[in-house]
Amino acid sequence: MDLPAPTADTTAPGTPPPLGEHLRSPRLRAAMLVQQEALQAARDHLRGEGFTELLPPLVGPVTDPGGRGAKALDVDYYGHPYKLMTSAILYKQASLRGFPRLFYIAPNVRVEPEETATTGRHLVEFHQIDVEIAGASREDAQEIAAGLLTHVTEHVWTTVPDVLTGLGRVEADFADVRAGKYDTRTHQEAVARLLSLGHPQNPDGEIDWAGERILSLESDRPFFVDDYPKGSRGFYDREDPERPGVLRNFDLIAPHGFGELVSGSEREADYATLVTRMRESGENPAKYAWYLKEAREGIPASAGFGMGLQRLVRFLTGLDALWQVSAYPKLPGVIAP
Amino acid sequence: MTAALTAPGFPEEAVRARARHGTAAVFPDPAAYGSHLFGPTPAPAGGDALDRMRIVPPVFMPRRLEKLIDLAREPEFGDVDLTTRAGGFTARLPLYLSAFGSTRAGSGDLAVHASRQAARLGIPMVIGENMVPVHGYRRSGDATRSALLARVEAYLEAAPDGVGGIVVQQSTEDADSEVWNLLYSDPSFRPLLESGRLAFELKTGQGAKPGLGGMTVVGRAEAEQLARRFTVREVFGETAPHRLRCATPGTFTEEILRQQLRFMRNNFPKARTWVKFHPGRDIGHAARTAWAAGADAVTVDGAEGGTGWAPGVFLDHVGLPLAETLRRVGRPDGCLLATGGVWEGGRAVRALALGATAVGLGRAALVAVDEDPEHGLERLVDALALELRLLVSALGAYTPGALTPEDLWSPDQDTAPDPWPATTARCPS
Repeated sequence: MDLPAPTADTTAPGTPPPLGEHLRSPRLRAAMLVQQEALQAARDHLRGEGFTELLPPLVGPVTDPGGRGAKALDVDYYGHPYKLMTSAILYKQASLRGFPRLFYIAPNVRVEPEETATTGRHLVEFHQIDVEIAGASREDAQEIAAGLLTHVTEHVWTTVPDVLTGLGRVEADFADVRAGKYDTRTHQEAVARLLSLGHPQNPDGEIDWAGERILSLESDRPFFVDDYPKGSRGFYDREDPERPGVLRNFDLIAPHGFGELVSGSEREADYATLVTRMRESGENPAKYAWYLKEAREGIPASAGFGMGLQRLVRFLTGLDALWQVSAYPKLPGVIAP
Repeated sequence: MTAALTAPGFPEEAVRARARHGTAAVFPDPAAYGSHLFGPTPAPAGGDALDRMRIVPPVFMPRRLEKLIDLAREPEFGDVDLTTRAGGFTARLPLYLSAFGSTRAGSGDLAVHASRQAARLGIPMVIGENMVPVHGYRRSGDATRSALLARVEAYLEAAPDGVGGIVVQQSTEDADSEVWNLLYSDPSFRPLLESGRLAFELKTGQGAKPGLGGMTVVGRAEAEQLARRFTVREVFGETAPHRLRCATPGTFTEEILRQQLRFMRNNFPKARTWVKFHPGRDIGHAARTAWAAGADAVTVDGAEGGTGWAPGVFLDHVGLPLAETLRRVGRPDGCLLATGGVWEGGRAVRALALGATAVGLGRAALVAVDEDPEHGLERLVDALALELRLLVSALGAYTPGALTPEDLWSPDQDTAPDPWPATTARCPS
């Protein structure tokens, strides 16, 4: 197998050249050809599954509090402190009564901590294929996510195989994805695996960047990680009523070191639980007035996910770093046009 | 001498004397040596249950024997090693600079001077809540630096390598401004993160007004600016030039605390996690919950604590005093930090003997810096450190971590601390 080896987390996978030079590079041109096919395939697939595409909001009084040290950008909105969307999750939930199956191709901005500049998997500006399904379970959302990845992969290998092979990709490496073969493990199992490999992983938190890469490298097919602990994810990920402290959520990790492509969950929709969970994640419920009003009036139960578009394209093209698949890359901590 | 601050009810004159004279103030006037007879002051003024406890050296000192064997000579007070691991940091002394909050006294030049001196002393510094929503962070495009950044810069310029650290609080209102995210993603904080010297402190309450949020007095113009983020009340009268700015205290349950701490550890893996409690009646339960959730330090603030702005009824009637707060925590499961009226070695040693790993200086530090902005805090701390060495060695111990409640005697039966076996491992590094 001749995959272009993704660079280790400890060394930066290079930095972008000046923007003009980057925009003229054949490598970016190839990546953008793959991206436009991926977008086309994603839209076709989701519309075929009965989804409606909406365009997401750009700013709001609150955004996804998300986490992992990233900050939302502040915007002065007629004198009110607004945020640029880190994700439109709250708006997805609020849209469900009118649009029970919806998706966005959503631009997001997260001022990531500098420490993520060297993961090859973080950009400050990025896009998500952001999906929400009323009345769905986690397993339903996983099925849609897996189907989406399989369809997009199939489509790009059908429409632009020369571009992919030109970038050094080998078609056989995608056999499992195209056949829809995915593994599943729990967060607890992932932690145990990392600890057994001598990687110090906090059992109460996210799988850290280095740990995620280790797990991704030792796998040949994509796999779901289920059941993250409360305290590692946002208040909208639903807690398992049968297992307090465990969330009904998941990540989808790409193999061969490419790492997380998707985060998703069943959503919390109960008003009182949402307020309590906001406090548990250190949030001030007063900020979320509009969203909590919707929740009081009744948000449908749902499940959904966001698939990172640039991460998807990086996985398809096999390029080392996310900046190589973004036309206008902004790396964490780097001031760029 | 600037002497703009007053601190009634606090031994201000004694603190100012130490800020001027340093270790000389630990002793009686040397000119009186040989001509005066000395004895204890009849009744120390303003003392609480902690101050009423006496420090009681034993006659037989197996701990001193251990030190004698170690040194192959008789130990002396200079052999006391005050270096302490506190809240994930290395401190040269079992001390730290407490948060001053966003009060006028705590957020001006004095706080910057205090920061610089704390850095030179090699002790950690806590920066109070509400600094960003009140004072702002950094205005884009000009050189205006916020109060918070001014303190961080002063500290970093003077801090020796490998010791000390900066702790930044966040309250409910700060969460609106995402203070921790802001700092964690700010490249200028990278040196602190990389050297493991940044901590975030979840503030759940404070000693001066348990159960209430922060309160400060603001002018009318400032009040209008802040009105969108804080409740501003006209308690001083409609025509008065001042308004009362109130922050909310935030709601905590056992699960909310546990999850917030986990969230902090998850989101800011390179920062240490501290939590500060007001002296609540369930403080023991709260502290144990925090340690179990992975807090690197638990700070308890006795009802004597705080830079002071609170309704009179709270100052006089509300909250457990520090001695009872420490008694209810008992033998700590982790690193315990204590504040509340500390300015000299006796009270510090009592708090350390009752389980604290380090003690905070709040009002005392501000008064000392007010007395001498260049070196007042350093002199105050020199005097305190000398007293610590004298007292700790007199107890036959040579590190503060070796002290136990047995080293104290309380005349108040019901506040007598429960003894526990000696240990030096309560604050893991």
